[in-house]
Amino acid sequence: MDLLQQCFHGMSFDLFVIQTLNGIVTGMILALVASGLTLIFGIMDVVNFAHGELFMLGAYMGVLVLATTGSFWLALILATLIVGLIGAALQITTLRPLIGRDPLTTILATFGISLILQNYALWQFGPVARKIQEPYTGHFNLFYLEYPWYRLVIAGLSAAIIGGFWMFLKYGKYGIWIRATTQDRVMAQAMGIPVPWVHTAAFAIGAGMAAASGVLFGPLVGVNHIMGLDWVLKAFIVVVVGGMGNLGGSIAAAILISLLEAYASMLGCISPAQAVIVSFVVLVLTLLFRPTGLFVPTPK
Amino acid sequence: MANNDKTPNEIDGFWYRGKVTRRTLIGYGATAGAIGATMLVPAPWQAAFGQAKPYKIGSLQPLSGAGAAGGKTALVGLQMAVDRINKAGGINGRPVEIVIADDESKPDVGRRKTEKLLVEDKVDAHVGGFLSNICLACMPVFEENKVVNMISVCLDTTLTTTKCNRFSFRVHDYAPSQAVAFAPELVKMGKKWHIAFADYSWGQSTRDAYADQIKKAGGEVVGTTGIPLGTADMTSFLSKITGNFDGLFGIFFGKDGVTIGNQAFDLGLTKKYKWAGDGAIAESTNLPALGSKIDGFIGINRYIPVLEAPFNTPAHKKFFDEAVVRLKQIDPSGPLPDRYVQANYEAMNALKIGMEKSKFRGREDTDKLIGALEGLEMKEGDDFPQGDKTLRKEDHQAFLRQVIAEVRGGKYKVLKVIDKDATVFPSACKFT
Repeated sequence: MDLLQQCFHGMSFDLFVIQTLNGIVTGMILALVASGLTLIFGIMDVVNFAHGELFMLGAYMGVLVLATTGSFWLALILATLIVGLIGAALQITTLRPLIGRDPLTTILATFGISLILQNYALWQFGPVARKIQEPYTGHFNLFYLEYPWYRLVIAGLSAAIIGGFWMFLKYGKYGIWIRATTQDRVMAQAMGIPVPWVHTAAFAIGAGMAAASGVLFGPLVGVNHIMGLDWVLKAFIVVVVGGMGNLGGSIAAAILISLLEAYASMLGCISPAQAVIVSFVVLVLTLLFRPTGLFVPTPK
Repeated sequence: MANNDKTPNEIDGFWYRGKVTRRTLIGYGATAGAIGATMLVPAPWQAAFGQAKPYKIGSLQPLSGAGAAGGKTALVGLQMAVDRINKAGGINGRPVEIVIADDESKPDVGRRKTEKLLVEDKVDAHVGGFLSNICLACMPVFEENKVVNMISVCLDTTLTTTKCNRFSFRVHDYAPSQAVAFAPELVKMGKKWHIAFADYSWGQSTRDAYADQIKKAGGEVVGTTGIPLGTADMTSFLSKITGNFDGLFGIFFGKDGVTIGNQAFDLGLTKKYKWAGDGAIAESTNLPALGSKIDGFIGINRYIPVLEAPFNTPAHKKFFDEAVVRLKQIDPSGPLPDRYVQANYEAMNALKIGMEKSKFRGREDTDKLIGALEGLEMKEGDDFPQGDKTLRKEDHQAFLRQVIAEVRGGKYKVLKVIDKDATVFPSACKFT
């Protein structure tokens, strides 16, 4: 009884609503990061360990473009395109030669890219964190807090980017090529789809999505060479929980995990570190009971 | 459509260009010769000191991983001190050579690298340590190998209290002495405080120190919120902070300092409550990423990069100017020196004085070196531009001047200077 009291001490309806909003906002950013990761895995069977660094590189590109042009929106668009191109170049030079080899080689290759990009950023930009100024600085009153509009803008933009990407996959000619390649690579190639270039495009789109999330999230944390590490681990969990290569599942898993973490941080009976463990608990339970992912039917 | 995927043979060809010909062999030979010739050119210290055997000083720093940014600046301070020492004739007529090890910001790696420094590299003494959890993991290794360890950044209280050992010295401050200095000022700002802290060894021990001292000064800590180290989005933790209190006190450093500064402002917490904390939140290297969101923050720090009193001395100006030039070499944005540069610089200089006083020859003289460092009085000047210090014999903890400063418009304004004697806190260490 005492434990229950301790757990729910200080909990209120206000806090519940605030944490729900926090969970959804964080979930949408995570979904954007994880979408790129799941796309790359779904198409190429490549676990991209450099995804966090593409997120970081996007944020740094955002800093540079913002400093040059003064426009956040231009920074968002250009950073996405530039990192998308860098992603394409990385795929052609590093991952394409490894197609058909042991999957371990691609893991090691992307891990190597991750280390190179991280240390390059530290060498090029130095240890001092940089700032991306958010385009909106207004707030609205949410119970006892002033809630920044910008957080809602991030959630909305993430949803719009993911929605646009989904439309592209569903109705666009090249989106159909990507889906066909995901379903059956050999048959897609037999039908005349240029599979290697679909791989390159998928990697570039995934990299661009990571870069966009880096620019969007940059104003909340500052830009530094390890900012991607915080997100990529969670994005991996989301991809596994949502079902490897399953876009809808990843989005649902991102929101579920972020909501669970936000609610867990309200409990007075567990420490903050334990609240963060929630996502790992979900991961372990998923692997034990639904190894193909929470949002994918388990094969009979 | 043709299949553009390469076959394994083609991929092998990408890496293996063919058999070794005479031409390629000559090319390899020329390259090897050039490298060999370069190696024959003596290092600068060899030219200056002839055949004198250098002192090997190990330095464990986080040069990759979460603490890399701080580790890089910390190393600037150490290198500045060593270059200055070598330029002035070394220590006891012998040059100093630094052996750097990257702990990758991980305690297990840090401990392994420390063992390597002490056992394989056979360093004479150590100056370094950045993250408190790594310092704590490595403390027993120095004791087992009987090597002097000058802690240069780690702030965890227990390093010089319950987990102290006679081989480790901390030449900078620790939370209890900062809390003794700052708590009376905090209570003047408001009676009731809520503490938000980085939920790991340093944050927890610092929280306890401030809770204790705020209470002693007549105030009250009405709540605490721990936030795991490295949390990118702190909003769900910060959203819980509400209630009837006067001030929010933050205990964070590095990128977590940037995160809380930005996100506490975004949620209106820093407008609703008085906003104070450990000076590491608003370290000079964090200010560019915090922008105007940190305006009004009041922090305590041993060192801030200003040239006004008490840092308006020629020694500090010299240190400041050189640090700015060196920092520019590792960061094009040209950051100002922070307390990590200062502490590493001064820890090396304290070791130098100890080695000179004890006529230290090598590890066989470790006991003499410990004797020389215990109770060492460090005077403000070129070796210690931050100010006077006393290295207490009982726990190997230094006591030094503190400054309370406000940040506004990306600049510091010194509000109060606390003399080193007003920061003294009783020893809680028993050497075994």
